[in-house]
Amino acid sequence: MPETLGTMLSDILNSLVHKPVTTNYPAECCDEPIRTRGKVVYNAETCTGCRLCVRDCPANAIDIIILDRKEKRFVMHYHVDRCIFCGQCVESCRFDCITLTDTQWELASTSKNPFDLYYGNDEDVKKVLDKHTEIFDVGT
Amino acid sequence: MATVVSASDQSRFIVPIGPQHPALKEPGHFEFTVDGEIITGASARLGYVHRGIEKGAESMNWTQCLYLLERICGICSHIHSIAYCQGLEKLADIEISPKARAMRTLVAELERIHSHMLWWGVAAHEGGFDTLFMYTWRDREIVMDLLETISGNRVNYSVNVIGGVRLDLSPEQVTKIVSGMKKLEERTKHYLEIVTNDSSFLARTRGIGVMTREEAQRLGAVGPTARASNVCRDVRVDAPYAGYHEYPVKIVTDTAGDLKARFVVRIKELFESYRIITNVAQNMPEGELKARRVPRKIPAGNVISRVEAPRGELFYYIESGGGEGPERIKVRTPTLPNWGSVLTMAAGLRLADVPMLLVGIDPCFSCNDRLIRLNPDGKQQTLTWQQLRDRGIEYYR
Amino acid sequence: MKNDLPAMFAILIFPGGLSLLLGGLMFEWIDRKFVARLQNRKGPKWYQPLADVIKSFSKEEIVPAGVNAGLFIGLPIVGVTTALVTGLYVPLFGFAPSHSFAGDLIVVLYFLSVLTLTLGVAGANTMDHFSLIGATRTLTQLFSYEAPFMLALLGPAIVAQSWQINEINVYAQNHTWFLFSQPIGFIIALIGLMGKLELPPFDAPEAETEIVSGALTEYSGRGLGLFHLGQDVEFIIGITLITTFYLGGLANPLEFILKSLGLLLVLTALQTLAARLRIDQTVGLWWRIGALLALIQLIISIAIRKLI
Repeated sequence: MPETLGTMLSDILNSLVHKPVTTNYPAECCDEPIRTRGKVVYNAETCTGCRLCVRDCPANAIDIIILDRKEKRFVMHYHVDRCIFCGQCVESCRFDCITLTDTQWELASTSKNPFDLYYGNDEDVKKVLDKHTEIFDVGT
Repeated sequence: MATVVSASDQSRFIVPIGPQHPALKEPGHFEFTVDGEIITGASARLGYVHRGIEKGAESMNWTQCLYLLERICGICSHIHSIAYCQGLEKLADIEISPKARAMRTLVAELERIHSHMLWWGVAAHEGGFDTLFMYTWRDREIVMDLLETISGNRVNYSVNVIGGVRLDLSPEQVTKIVSGMKKLEERTKHYLEIVTNDSSFLARTRGIGVMTREEAQRLGAVGPTARASNVCRDVRVDAPYAGYHEYPVKIVTDTAGDLKARFVVRIKELFESYRIITNVAQNMPEGELKARRVPRKIPAGNVISRVEAPRGELFYYIESGGGEGPERIKVRTPTLPNWGSVLTMAAGLRLADVPMLLVGIDPCFSCNDRLIRLNPDGKQQTLTWQQLRDRGIEYYR
Repeated sequence: MKNDLPAMFAILIFPGGLSLLLGGLMFEWIDRKFVARLQNRKGPKWYQPLADVIKSFSKEEIVPAGVNAGLFIGLPIVGVTTALVTGLYVPLFGFAPSHSFAGDLIVVLYFLSVLTLTLGVAGANTMDHFSLIGATRTLTQLFSYEAPFMLALLGPAIVAQSWQINEINVYAQNHTWFLFSQPIGFIIALIGLMGKLELPPFDAPEAETEIVSGALTEYSGRGLGLFHLGQDVEFIIGITLITTFYLGGLANPLEFILKSLGLLLVLTALQTLAARLRIDQTVGLWWRIGALLALIQLIISIAIRKLI
C-alpha cells in the first residue's frame, strides 16, 4: 500500500453506520464479569478464629474480633475503604468463610460510615460496638 | 543525566514540561531549552511520585508484599508479581507446575497487548491524531474484557500466588480468548497499515528521534525502545522464564531506530503475543494450579529475578533473612534505563516532537521513581522509619 | 431573503448578536458531536458548549502577574466584538446582510483576522512560556494561511466583478456553483478555513500535548469564555462565507441550513483524518502548495474572463 492521506477513512465511515461503543455509565451499566472481586463477605459460622486472613491482608483492612472461640462467636471488622480487593483473604482462609461478592463493586459514598462494616451475628456486633475500645485492644 | 545546556547562558528560553502538563499522564519535570522551535538542550527531574514501596515492603510479610509489588505499576502489574514470585520460588526451592507457568505466560502476554495498545493510543494522541487514539483504545477494550473475565479485574489481576497461580481457564473462556485474538489480529493489521502508510502520521514519526544501535547500547536502552534500534535483547528469549520454554517467542527488531520503528516494533510484537496466547489457551497443560506446601518463612539468601515487562527488562533483587518477610527488595523498572535515550535524542528536534519523543519510550514515572542517596563523603548513614517520617513532616510543615 | 428588520434588532438580536452567538455554539456542538460519532463515541449533549461558556463566565478571572491588565481584560472584548461585527456583512442564516457596501469583503476578512491577532497579542502579553510559544505559532499560522485563503475568496469575487459580499451572493445564486467552476479555490478556501479556525490537523497553535493551551494558557473565567465565543462566531461566519461564495449562494434559511451543515460535516470529517502538522509543516504546506495553487486558480479565472 502506498503512502496516502486519510488511511482511517474506512474506520470513520464504518462508525457512521454503527452505534457508538461508549455508554452513559451511571445511567446504563454493563454486566459485571463472573469473577469480579467486590466487597468482602464473612460468614462467622465456619470461622475458627485462626486470623490468618488478618495476617495476610496487605492493606490491614480486616480485623477478626474473637469473643468466644468455643461458641464460635466472631466479629469481623472490615474497613471497606482500606481494602484493595486482592482476594488474598479468600485465598488464605482454609474454611471458606470469606468470599468476595461479584455484584457490590460500586462502593463510592459521600460519608465515612458505609466504609466501616461489622460482620457477625447482631448481638455480637452490638457487644463489640458497645465496648469498642476495650475489645479492640484485646483483639490486637 | 544529559544536560546539554550550560547554566551560565542567561538568554536561554526554557519550556518546562511538567510536573503537571497535558502531555504527561504522570508527574515528571523536563526542561527543554529552545531556540525558536528547535530544541538545544534537555534535562529531566524525576521523583515526584516516589512512594517508598521498597521500604514499605520490608515491613510486610512475603504474602502481603506480593500485592504491594503488584501495585508498583498499573499497566504491567502482573509482570511485577511474576518477577517477585519467581524469585521467591527460587529461594524457597518450590517447583511450580507447567499449568501455572502457562497461565502466567498467558496473562503476561494479554497484559503486553493491553500495555502496547494503550501506549500507541497515547502516542497517537501526543501527535494530535485523536482518531487513531480513540480507535486503538476502543479495540483495547477487547483485551481488557478478556482480562476481566479471566481475573475479575481490569488491572491488578491477582493471578499469581507464591507457588503458582490462583485461577484456571474455563472452556468458554478459551473460546472467548481465541476469538478475541482473531479480532485483534485483524485490527492490528489495519493499524500497522495506518502507522506505516498514513502520510500525515509519517511526517511526525519518520526520522524523528533516531537512535543508532551503538547509541542504544551505550545508553543501556531496554525493551522495544532498544529493539527498534536493532538491539536484539529480550529476556523472554535470552533467559526464558515462566512458560517461554514451552512457548518460545521470536524477537522483533527494526533497523531504523526512529519513532516509526518504535511503533512498528510494538505492533509486530503484538502478533507474536496473539500467536502465543492462542497457542497457550488451546494447549493448556493439565496439572495442579499451585504448589501444595508454601512455607511462611523463606530460607535466607538472595536472588535476582529478571523478566521482560512490556516496556523492557524488569529486574528484581530479593534478599531474605530467613524470616516471614523480605530483608530488602530492589526493583529496577524498564523506564529508568530508557530516560537517557530521550534526553540525548531531544537536541536538534522541534518542540512539537517532544511529546511523542517522551512518550516514545513508553515511560512509567511512578514505577521508576526510586530513591538512592549517595553521601558525597562516602560515610554510611542509617535512617529509621520514624526518622524518615519526622523528616517528611518537618519538610512539608 | 430580504432583511427588513430594524437596524438595532438586526445588530443585537437577529441575525447578528445573540442569534449569531447561539448559532456559533450550535455549530460547535455539531462539530464536537460529529467528531465523536466518527470516532465511535457518543459525544456531548446539545447544551454542552453553552454550559461551557456559562461555566467560564461564572468563574473567577485571574489576572496573572506581569501582564498589562488593561490589555489582558480588553483583548477578549475586542476579539469577540470584531467577530460579531463581521456578522453584519455576511448573509447569515440565509438573510441578506443587514449592512452592505462596496468592498465589505475586505472588511470582513480583516475583522476575522483581528480575532486571531487579538489571540496572538493576548498570548504575547503574558509571561508564560507556553503562551508566548502559542502566540508565536498563532501569528505564524496567520501569516501562512491568510494569503492563500484571501486569494481563494478573490476568485469568485473577480468572476462576479464585485467586492461586495451581497452582490457575490446574488451572482452565485444565478450561476453555476463556483465549487464546480473553481474547484481548486474551493479546496484551498476550505482548508484555509480549517487553518483559520485552528481545527485539527492545523491546531499546532493550541496543541495541548505540547504547549498546554497555547496563547490562552493563562486565561480563565470571563476572558476565556469570550475568546471561546469569538472563535465560535468565527466558525459560523467562515462557513457562511464559503457557502455563499462556493456553494451557490444563500437565498433563504433552508438553503443556509442544508448547505452550511453539509459543509460543516465535511469540515468535521476532514479533522479526524490526519495527525497534527508541526508549525513548520503548516507554513511549508501553505506557502509551497496553497499559495501557488490559489494563484494558479486566480490566473485561470482571470484568463477565462478576458477570453470571454
